[in-house]
Amino acid sequence: MTSIQRLLIANRGEIAARIAKTANRLGIETVGIYAENDINSLHTQKVDIAIHLPGATLQETYLNGELIIQEALRTQSDAVHPGYGFLAENADFAQAVQEAGLIWVGPTPDQIRNLGDKIVAKQTALDAGVETTASYVVTPDGDIPEVTMPAIVKAAAGGGGRGMRVVENSQNLKQAIEDASREALSTFGDGRVFVEPFFSKGRHVEVQILGDAFGNVIHLGERECSIQRRNQKLIEETPSPGITQEIREKIWDSAVSLAKHVKYLNAGTVEFLISENNDVVFLEVNTRLQVEHPITEAVTGLDLVELQIHIAEGSQLPISQQDVIFTGHALEVRVVAEDPSINWLPSTGSITAFQINDQVRIDTGIQTGSTITPDYDSLIAKIITHQPTRKESIRHLKRSLQRSLINGVKTNLSMLIETLHHDDFQNGNTQTCFLEDNPEVLSGFKTNDEEELALMLAAVFALEYIDTQSAQKKGLPSGWRNLRTQGQRQIWKSKENIQHVEYIISGNSAIVHVGEWPEPQEDGTLTPDQRSQHKVRLIDRSLNQQTIEIDGRRQHIQTNILNETVNLLSTTATATWERQPIFTYRDEEQMGDGPVSPLPGTVIAVHVTKDEIVQAGDILMVVEAMKMEHKIVALVNARVTTVHFQEGDRVNTGDLLVSLEQDQ
Amino acid sequence: MAEANILQSRLDTRSEEYLNNLEAMQSLWDLVADELQKVPTVGGQRYVDRHRRRGKMLVRERVEALVDRNSPLLELNALAGWGTEDPVGVGVFAGIGVVEGIECAITGTDMTYRGGAGNPTTWNKQKRFFQIVRENRLPLILLNESAGADLPRQADLFIHGGENFRDLTQLSKLGIPTICVAFGPNTAGGAYIPGMSDYTVFVKERGTAYLGGPPLVKMAINEIVDEETLGGAEMHARTSGLADYLALDEMDGLRIARQIIQHLNWNKLGPGPTKEIEEPLYDQSELLGCAMANVRIPFDIKEIHARILDGSRFEEFKPLYGEKLVCGWGNICGFPIGILGNNGILFSEEASKGAQFIQLCNKRNIPLLFMHNITGFMVGSDSERGGIIRNGAKLINAVSNSTVPHLNLMVGASYGAGNYGMAGKSYNPRFIFTWPNHRVAVMGPEALAGVMDIIARNAAAGRGEQVDEEKLTERRTALETQIEHESTALYSTGRLWDDGIIHPADTRTVLGIALSACHSNEIVGAREYGVWRH
Repeated sequence: MTSIQRLLIANRGEIAARIAKTANRLGIETVGIYAENDINSLHTQKVDIAIHLPGATLQETYLNGELIIQEALRTQSDAVHPGYGFLAENADFAQAVQEAGLIWVGPTPDQIRNLGDKIVAKQTALDAGVETTASYVVTPDGDIPEVTMPAIVKAAAGGGGRGMRVVENSQNLKQAIEDASREALSTFGDGRVFVEPFFSKGRHVEVQILGDAFGNVIHLGERECSIQRRNQKLIEETPSPGITQEIREKIWDSAVSLAKHVKYLNAGTVEFLISENNDVVFLEVNTRLQVEHPITEAVTGLDLVELQIHIAEGSQLPISQQDVIFTGHALEVRVVAEDPSINWLPSTGSITAFQINDQVRIDTGIQTGSTITPDYDSLIAKIITHQPTRKESIRHLKRSLQRSLINGVKTNLSMLIETLHHDDFQNGNTQTCFLEDNPEVLSGFKTNDEEELALMLAAVFALEYIDTQSAQKKGLPSGWRNLRTQGQRQIWKSKENIQHVEYIISGNSAIVHVGEWPEPQEDGTLTPDQRSQHKVRLIDRSLNQQTIEIDGRRQHIQTNILNETVNLLSTTATATWERQPIFTYRDEEQMGDGPVSPLPGTVIAVHVTKDEIVQAGDILMVVEAMKMEHKIVALVNARVTTVHFQEGDRVNTGDLLVSLEQDQ
Repeated sequence: MAEANILQSRLDTRSEEYLNNLEAMQSLWDLVADELQKVPTVGGQRYVDRHRRRGKMLVRERVEALVDRNSPLLELNALAGWGTEDPVGVGVFAGIGVVEGIECAITGTDMTYRGGAGNPTTWNKQKRFFQIVRENRLPLILLNESAGADLPRQADLFIHGGENFRDLTQLSKLGIPTICVAFGPNTAGGAYIPGMSDYTVFVKERGTAYLGGPPLVKMAINEIVDEETLGGAEMHARTSGLADYLALDEMDGLRIARQIIQHLNWNKLGPGPTKEIEEPLYDQSELLGCAMANVRIPFDIKEIHARILDGSRFEEFKPLYGEKLVCGWGNICGFPIGILGNNGILFSEEASKGAQFIQLCNKRNIPLLFMHNITGFMVGSDSERGGIIRNGAKLINAVSNSTVPHLNLMVGASYGAGNYGMAGKSYNPRFIFTWPNHRVAVMGPEALAGVMDIIARNAAAGRGEQVDEEKLTERRTALETQIEHESTALYSTGRLWDDGIIHPADTRTVLGIALSACHSNEIVGAREYGVWRH
């Protein structure tokens, strides 16, 4: 038995930060690693020292096992924790770590190697007496097995959904096997595939196991991870809301039998698919710490990383199965930088606001100012709640998410809130097909109109407060006029939502009109005023909060101001509103590059095409904004080089609409 | 220590007197408000619609778009021309607003009234405004479009009209930036507005400038030419060089003006607000009922102090001497100020106390506020023997030669030499603001009619004639009515005797803006005066 003094964490992001946290608590010094684009990442700040890995590719950095071992030795680390992903399930790396005389915090290299092969793993499960449906190893040129339909073809070496094919009827099976095998060969260098029955309405349930070097194995209960997109988990919970106690105990026992059978060392997860008819399909063994491990920690009160380190040091498991007591219900959501409303399109950029309600556990590698790059996975944060019952967990997590704000990239935050709101989710109808059956949740949670108005007006008066604090206006009433022709007119924008606001403040109250103000029409008269009017009282204000009363409804709203952008957090919702500029900088247009949009609006007609020759005064495009049609006109005789927008496109103030090349 | 000098209001806001005053002041303000309402569209709906149909903004809409968000804006002389043959406001906007964080003087012509052509009051208003610009050293933005002079009225404005252009170039000489945005025609004399400005912005296809328009060119040299070729924005931007910037449209013109301000490298020369800003302890809207509806009945001027000074703090100077002229120090919106306010007529003691106080403020470089509620100096043999002329002369000497900024606030009467002693219009105050109840004249209507009555009786007696009582009473009443009319606040503001009638509750705000504007220039007190008659 040894004692780890210094641990190298061969990972990045939230998991590196999370491992460092436990190590730190245990008094173990930590060494982190970082690639160039992670130089300011949170995980580098959570370790005692961090080592730069030169190079631009993953192969040169986080997947560069040889260099990482060198650095571990050079920094006099005595152990390596791989986290998840990257080198976590790389048996060769694990072996190299051990051969270098370092402690590997994880299963043995053989266990990683064997259980990482799905065909071997399934055979091992069967050998251990795990009850599972039949599966058939096949080769493209071999016999086609008799399998009940629908079925799924999987690669032996697969993962992350690659090399998988669902087959609805037997005629297509041969083709599917060929396709899957070809893809598996090109992706994993291993064309072996197998066929299993497929359950479209299944549940993905997994069991956490722990084994020590003395052959002791315990399980820490199950986790249900059925809400997935593209086979990647989004919401995990424990206990599973949709399996019977009988099934629950069956999979616990199966997982323990399998682990005992291979003398499993350290932490691992045995994954199962449970069909509607309670068929149990053994899926695979994950020989690492799982992303979703915090929910297990919540209900058991254990620290899995601590136990991993303990086992790696050669100690006996400090607890037996009887000591594991499950309390309450835990729920985890993964916030990712992806836009669920446009097919989970990854979103990258700088995080300008990152405020997560702190009534929950937050595992993250992100902070305000962090950059989400396309180089790594899209996980921003894991948010975990632990409450006595599932109902309370959902309620608690939902409110926490409603009070959280992430700006700079698109996220699935609002989709998660909507999912937690959904009846099917609340009733535990959380099969793997949940998102396919309920695509409406993808468009996200909608703030109600009153709440939206309150947040917007809090933004309006937050900037008004800042404006009146400036030296030239201090002590003088905001927007005061001795001859008033109109109130303060401003245009505000939150995502696609554009609002016109006009207000007059006197003392601590204001009259606010929301809606498009009267504009001159063709004949010079003004359009009728059809705006809604609101009475606002400014009760208490400071740089970071606004207590305002709108039409007799009082609310306290936190504000975070960045130039013309205000991030807002009420007790039940969040929003980001941006004050739109009054003026358009059209110097570019002046230089002859082409006209820019004078207002935020929609292109309703495009009159020119590329290479067309236009005369000064020709109409190029028509942009509709504030119910008015703005004709975009060529200022000079020119040739159209690019038409930047099509009919129906939204344009912002200052967007270059058409590029022109002036006649020589 | 910090709690010292806090004024205690004795105003009973439930008393009949207060409520009467409130009602009287409110109805006087309603008259003013009705007039103010007319100003923005004084050109008439037909011309407003036509202006908008051409895609143009009204002058005050341009100003709204020009100034910083949430910034206060003080329009000056909004009712100039009231009671004259010229329209209220005379088709010109003039005011002080914040642009890119810098207080600027902003003026603009209202094209909807006779094509923005200048009438005699226009020139007078402009003249006064340029004086404000010069004395307070405010960057000037001119939002110009004008058909030139209102030709049928040329006799009343041609000779003095040229001073405006002289003023403009002299502002430039003093280092005060002048920025002209041409939104429409700048014809004949109007062409010298951009011509004399430091920076010019012309709005494409809108702004034009020429000394003679196409009809005159045809008349003079028989050349046939269109406006755009003759003096269009493009021509001036690309060929003549009169336009420094070419704006794509009105909003772009305003944007460029803001951009120019941004690069002025401008700093105010005054120290700015040096004290912590505190709201007064008393409700400013009570100012409406502070002043007596009848200017002949005195009221305690310190009720106003309590409602306009920071924290209602006022350090009174010589409270036990010459107490009818209340002198002392306080702050308005963080700006230190010395205040002289009338609690009755001026005696020798009041006059010499005032002169001393003005000298102190000059030594300390503190701007002065004169709150007028004065019917004059004390007359009579006691007063004359006590040297009222000699002492009054000290006060006139002090106000004439004092160089710190003077602000006038008219809260009641301002009659005769009292007006002079309190640094009235002829003593060049930086700003004069008037409450709606204000009366200004050589003396009150009854007194004036009474004096004329006595003179008439004496003259009749001298000629040995019998007085026609009926005729005399008729004359006396007619004279009283005439003086009454000529001494109202509206009459006064219509003739540019002030810089605007203000709502009493806005007093602190208006004075705050005015003081801030004064601090754009240096605040330096006088070191020399005329010979003191001791």
